[in-house]
Amino acid sequence: MLAPGLRPASIRLSEARFALLLVLPALLGIFVVVVFPLLYSLWLSFTDVNLLRTTGPAIELFGVRVPLFRWVGLQNYARIFADPLYWSSLWRTLYFVGAFVVEATLVGMGMALVLHERFPGRPLMRSLLLIPWSLSRVVVGLLWIGILDFEFGALNGLLYRLGVIDGYIAFFKHGWSALNVLVSVYMWNQAPFASLLFLAGLQSISLDLYSAAEVDGAGYWQRFRYVTMPALRPILFLVLVLATVNGFLMLDLIYVLTMGGPGHDTTTISWLGFQTTFTFFRFGPGTAILYTLTALCLLLAVIYHRLILGRFEPES
Amino acid sequence: MAMMPSTARVDRGYRGGRYKVRSVGSRLVLGGLVLAVAVWLVGPFVWLFVTSISYQRNLMARPLAFIPPEVTLDNYKMILGLIRFHAEGQAAKILPSMLNSLVVAAVVTLANLIVGATAGYAYARYRFPLKTVSLFALLFTRMLPTVVLVPAFFLMLRALGLQNTLTGLIVTYSSFTLPFTVWIMKAYFETVPSELDKSALVDGCNRLQAYYRVVLPVSGPGLVAGGAFTFMLCWNEFIVAQVLNTKPGTTTLPPVIAGMNGQINIDYSVIAASGFLGALPAVLLVLCFQKYMVQGLTAGSVKG
Repeated sequence: MLAPGLRPASIRLSEARFALLLVLPALLGIFVVVVFPLLYSLWLSFTDVNLLRTTGPAIELFGVRVPLFRWVGLQNYARIFADPLYWSSLWRTLYFVGAFVVEATLVGMGMALVLHERFPGRPLMRSLLLIPWSLSRVVVGLLWIGILDFEFGALNGLLYRLGVIDGYIAFFKHGWSALNVLVSVYMWNQAPFASLLFLAGLQSISLDLYSAAEVDGAGYWQRFRYVTMPALRPILFLVLVLATVNGFLMLDLIYVLTMGGPGHDTTTISWLGFQTTFTFFRFGPGTAILYTLTALCLLLAVIYHRLILGRFEPES
Repeated sequence: MAMMPSTARVDRGYRGGRYKVRSVGSRLVLGGLVLAVAVWLVGPFVWLFVTSISYQRNLMARPLAFIPPEVTLDNYKMILGLIRFHAEGQAAKILPSMLNSLVVAAVVTLANLIVGATAGYAYARYRFPLKTVSLFALLFTRMLPTVVLVPAFFLMLRALGLQNTLTGLIVTYSSFTLPFTVWIMKAYFETVPSELDKSALVDGCNRLQAYYRVVLPVSGPGLVAGGAFTFMLCWNEFIVAQVLNTKPGTTTLPPVIAGMNGQINIDYSVIAASGFLGALPAVLLVLCFQKYMVQGLTAGSVKG
């Protein structure tokens, strides 16, 4: 005996409705806090934002006047593309991202390979893996100041004690060294996450493959090359894409460690956009810079999307 | 150098266990590597603690003593307002800003879990119109640079009069935590057998009851993973709080620590104490829930 509303056709209909009801709050929330601000930022990048002006065009949203400012077309974009600092920051960003991706991937995989071995205290070691990653970037910057500082840095102290240096090194004084220190500090913070992904990948490799390779006389490196690496390829790709995006987005460490300096030597696109917007309060050009960064990230998102859907969602 | 795989066949099914098979040489190499990784991972954090219980004059001494000749809690007493010093104005902001951090992180976590888990469940279980499109949008938003939204939030919150309020931060933080929570909960619910909900439906639950009476109670690990990660993100967030809440007393802990760091008249040892104190909640949280978090994160593969 079927209760009303339990016939197959209506089940399907109400199932879809029920599911939509469940996702509705989240989708509405995401619209309000992501989609709308994203569009508003895009709009701002085409306007001349004057924070002091309270009159002028505005849209009313739920009784709130959201100012629209004066439309200037592509002027902000033209201005930032004409600025040599934008281009030098872009090349610097590309170097930063490249160096960061290489370092984070190599160190991440190295740590994963070590922690995949069997040794006493392995669970403890895996917990330690999470420490650098769970720290605020403010604290990450702070503790590396304690290690690298010109006056009281522990690394300087160690090298001095070992007789390697006569005087303390000022790691942040010269642009090239400061930039590379930033890469490595960020890597220290982020590589553990790559290790987590690699470890998950390593654990999913069938031990029979290793046994078979061993029977065939393969040594450690051969097994790594012919068994481990091919199996890790999807994870490796994932790590590369995530590291690339995270490299483009890095901002907080620059704030704490270098403020984009010395000169502009550690100014990346994200820092330039942030500084233009919130230090100089030039919202139009600032959001335009940040939008070029967004475009780069969304390009990567397309790659990531294909990767993720390939891996986790064969049905859709 | 037979390291990993030589033991693989022997101790399949054991965790830890045997190492007899390994030669002395490879055990030494492995031991050295493990030690190097351990020092790399926790050395800097341990040093932060050491500096926080040292006097600045001992940190400036050359040669530097790695075991502090004098141990003191003065730095902690200063930032907690127990002893007076010249920068106590800055230090006095530490505890109130920690409370702000706690409120913001807790509210965002709770709200995101309620809304995000519900949506994640629907994504994991049901087919509905717009599912693929909205999933794509979700993934898309997770790759966005949050900083591009900040100018918009700045002006919107100004128009709403929500600048320098915790509400403003809570709303802004949701822009990067909510898509993530939906995603990680979806990944988690996919690992919960759907027979569970089906038998609940047969037993007379309606769909909503099947979710919150049957599935939700066994989803502790997923909720813990998503919740702990969201909490950690909010607790650690710096840029948004720095820009949106500039009025003294309205901001969270990271901008306060960064502000102290920018002042030359405050000793590093004092800042280290506040940094260590501020890091402790997130580190302990992650260490407590690491098992769930690792499972959840590797399944949901997030940026972080």
